[in-house]
Parts: sequence; structure tokens; C-alpha cells
Amino acid sequence: MMDSKEREDKVMTLREAVQKFVRDGCSLSLGGFCGRNSQAVAHEIIRQRKGNLTFIDDSPTDQLDMLIGAGCIKRVEIAWHGVSIFALARNFRRAVEEGVPRLIEMEDYSNYAAGLRFLAGAMNVPFLPTRSLLGSDIPQYNKRIKIIEDPYDGEPIALVPAASPDVAIIHVQHADVRGNAQIWGHLANDENKARAAKHTVITCEEVVPKEEILRIPNMTAIPFYCVDAVVEVPYGSHPWSCYGYYYHDVIFQRDYAKYNETYEGFLGWLDEWVLRCEAHADYLNKVSQKRLLELTKMEKALNKIPI
Amino acid sequence: MGTREYAKDYSFAELMAVVAAKEVRDGERVFVGIGIPMIACFLAIYTHAPKAALIFEGGYIGGRPPSACTDVGDSALGFRASYITSLWRTFSDLQRGYCDLAIIGSAQVDKYGNVNSTAIFRNRTYQNPMVRLQGSGGANDMVSSARRTVIMVRLERRRFVPRVDYITSPGYIDGPGTREKTGLKGGGPVAVITDKAVFRFDENTKDAYLSGVYPGVSVEDVKSEVGWSLKTAREIKIVEPPTTEEVNFIRSYDPTNVILRRRRLFEEVDFSSWVTLTESNWHKLIRHCSRRH
Repeated sequence: MMDSKEREDKVMTLREAVQKFVRDGCSLSLGGFCGRNSQAVAHEIIRQRKGNLTFIDDSPTDQLDMLIGAGCIKRVEIAWHGVSIFALARNFRRAVEEGVPRLIEMEDYSNYAAGLRFLAGAMNVPFLPTRSLLGSDIPQYNKRIKIIEDPYDGEPIALVPAASPDVAIIHVQHADVRGNAQIWGHLANDENKARAAKHTVITCEEVVPKEEILRIPNMTAIPFYCVDAVVEVPYGSHPWSCYGYYYHDVIFQRDYAKYNETYEGFLGWLDEWVLRCEAHADYLNKVSQKRLLELTKMEKALNKIPI
Repeated sequence: MGTREYAKDYSFAELMAVVAAKEVRDGERVFVGIGIPMIACFLAIYTHAPKAALIFEGGYIGGRPPSACTDVGDSALGFRASYITSLWRTFSDLQRGYCDLAIIGSAQVDKYGNVNSTAIFRNRTYQNPMVRLQGSGGANDMVSSARRTVIMVRLERRRFVPRVDYITSPGYIDGPGTREKTGLKGGGPVAVITDKAVFRFDENTKDAYLSGVYPGVSVEDVKSEVGWSLKTAREIKIVEPPTTEEVNFIRSYDPTNVILRRRRLFEEVDFSSWVTLTESNWHKLIRHCSRRH
């Protein structure tokens, strides 16, 4: 079989991409950073009942909280986990504090350390050094962080291990069918997550002709040779913002947080908004076209993509 | 600003934002997250520090969001940003020494300014603690490398402990010399700003002392919320109340009151009223931005 990175046309459906690349027990990174998140992807992973996943990330939000609540997660390696200034990641807390629905293994980093882990993975080196983490308790409880003497000048320096997840799934604004992915707005760690992973899936607001990519090639953050699959998922980040496309639906997220106060409440929310929606399009219909267009209008008042 | 007309009606959370804003000097590069620290920094920019630039870890630098964001990767942070980049790059610039000031939040803080935002153990383990908090995020990196760090936390006895359960973000660790010995290059904390009082750090002993109290708060009120024998400045200042202009800015910048929670508006507002409230403030500030900044 041809290597999936070699193909000229990598377009498939979200269901196919998750079936093919997210295997039970694999390690997974999702893109975005409190914006341009892989929300639709998290829903699809839950619909397909994937299990025993190791989640490697910087500062995941409700997409991880849902995966934990749905019982998909075995282990997390992260720097932070919350939802928003107005909401905690309740499923994360229930899992770590009470083992509901199951205990998860924890490994803490800082955000820079998490970023360097993906950079190391993308560079194919085993670790990178940083001046963060020194003097803190993070390395006391995470033995994979090493404090060594800098071999050149003898000063203490922290080493963080490379992260090379089995699969990274990144949501972007534009991609062509071969997987050249253009990102507007913050990049977070996505260029490195995509390169560090064994398999990389790009989901995008719009699949665009190659000619569109060639107009501003500087905006291609992830080149075709890292990419295994391309999936068009409009509003794939809702309720999070997607720079140039739609603003953050803060009210939707507030309502999620209300349901999420209790585990039963969360399961009810999940049933209504994820399990009973066959695909992302059904979820979007439920949110309503009118509301989505309102978010688009808000975003365009702030940021426009110059293509 | 014109004449200083003090606000008659304000909350201590609002005063907390005003006090933090005064830590920002004009022209500084400030590494900051969301919440009250973000409101404080934009208050500084729209009053005494128009040339300060804010760095948000996800990759937005120098932006002017026209209302307070609820998350550190919100697209509004890109509005009028001069540089948009990646997360590992913003932190590399921080580690390189380009940031003057960082402002972090905290769940627990001790007398050496060590911050815990990871877990409250209460006789349980790191893997299964009594309370699992959000984790470092960028806070560890900020206090490790910024020239100065300001810590913001509510003044409560369960938060002001002799020694934090877990040092997520190191202050002066065990006292004088320990930051240097561990290899940290950043300057460490310069202030702890709470909703009742302000603490600063003794240059020699590196422990926190009470520097100022909010109007109407007594030294005894503060001491009763601190879990160690608290030192005080020779002359404890009464913190200057906010001006009407400052309070008006804060309220209009957070039109649904999601950050400062003075009213229950955010809990009750529906989607379309939220859009209207948010956009009306945007139009005002977008006009202001194109005129002045």
C-alpha cells in the first residue's frame, strides 16, 4: 500500500480519518490553543468510542475534558487543563480526584516545556534544554524531566523529553488536497505537533485549490510531506474562535460548563450534542445556522484573511 | 488623565485590577494571561502606558482586543497585533530576556512567593490529590524568566500558607540565594496583589511583607487571612481608590461582567444580548484605537 503521506489527494471524511488513524491505545495530540481547536474531532473520537488514549498537549480545554468524561483517556501529559476563565475542566478533576469515570495517569509540564517537547519531536532529537522548571516541584514529580549541569559552563539546566505522538490532528483555515495547510492567527505548537507525529490529519474550514496556497506560500505552516489526510470541517472549532472565520461562542461554552457541574449533567450534554449527532453537520444544525453566521460576522469585524 | 475624581462605587476586584495596572510601566513588554491581569494591562495601555506591548503565550503580540477575552487564544487578541507567531517562540523570546514584566494568577502562595497552581494534596498523592488544580500553563515559564513578576490571588487563609504543597512557579524558594543556586535567570516576584492588600518582598530576606491595605481594611483583617507570622512595612500605605475613569474603563471593557462578576449578568445573558453587548463596546473601542493607537 502506498504511504498515506505520498498521495496527491488525501481528502477523506472525518469518520474515515478517525477510524484510520486514531487507534485504541495510541498517543494523540490535538491542535489549537484556546482557539482554532479540534472540537469536531474530539466529538468524532467519542462517537467511535476510542479508548486507552494517551493525550499529549500544552494547554487543552474542553475537547480533552469531554474525552476524559467519555472514558477515552488513560494518560495525560500536559501543562494546564481548564476550559475558560469562567469554567473548570470538571471531568478532569473528577477523574484525578475521584477516579470518575476512571483514574488517569498524570504527567505535568509547563507550557514552554510542552512546546519544546513537540519541537524536539519535530527535530528528531531526544530532548531539548530550557531554563524553565528549575527550582520548582515539577521535576520532583515528573522524573522524565532531568536537571543536569550544562556540559559547557556547568550551570543547572532542565531537559524535557521529545514528544512524538502516534497521531496529531490539527484544525486550520485553508488546506489543499495534498495537505499544504495555511494557518492565520496564532500557531500555538501546531507546526511542530504536525511534524513530530507519526501520522498527521489536517482538518480545515475550506479545502482550497492549490493556486490559493501559492498566492501566499509563507502562510503554509504545515507542508504536504507531513500530512496523511485532509478533511473539510466547516466550523470545526466551534464553540472556540477560528481567526478570520468566526468568533468565540462564549455563551455555548458557559452552558456546557453548567451541565458539566455534575457527571450526570455531562453525560446528558454529551448524549444531546455528540452521541445523538451522527456527524458534525448535525451538531452545527443544532447550534443553528443563524447563530454561526452571527459569530462569523463578529469575527470579520476584527480579523479578515487577505485572500 | 485629567483631574483625579475617585469612584464612589467600586468593588475590591476592580481595585485589584487598578493596582495591578500601576505595575505596568510605559513601553514595557508584558507577558500576561487572561482574567483580571488582562484587564489590568489594557487599563494601563489605555491610561498611563500606551506604548506597553502585551505578549500572549499562544502567539499574539501587541494586539488591542476591543473587549476582555475569556481565553488566551481568542481571535480578538489578534486585532491590531503587530506580530503573530507560535507558542514555543513567545516563550523562547521570554527566556531570551525580552520580557520586563509577567503577571500570573495563583491558587496558593507562601511567604517566599512560591506559587502552587497544580494540586492541594491534603495527605493524598500527586496522582490522586484532594484537589487537582489547572497546572502551570505558562506561569512557571513566566516567573522563571521575566525580569519582574506580579502574583495576583484572593486573600484567604487557605491560600496564604507557610509553605505551598507543590511549587508550580518558584518565587524565592527557600529564601536568599536559592533562585540563583537553582539556575533561574528571571528576577522573581515583586508584588502579591490581592483583593484586600498588597504585599512586597524584602530585598535582603526575600520574604513577603504587608505594604498596603485597601480603604477600610485593617492590618488585623489581613493578618487573620495569612497563615504565617506576617511582617509589615514601617508605614503601611492605604491604597489609593480607583478613579471614575478607571472604573468606567474596566466596566465597559468587560461588558457582560464575565471577569469581575460584580453582577450576575454573565450567568443570565442570552446569546443575542451577549452579541449586542459585546459588539456595542467593540465599535466604541475600535474607533478609539484607530484615533489614538
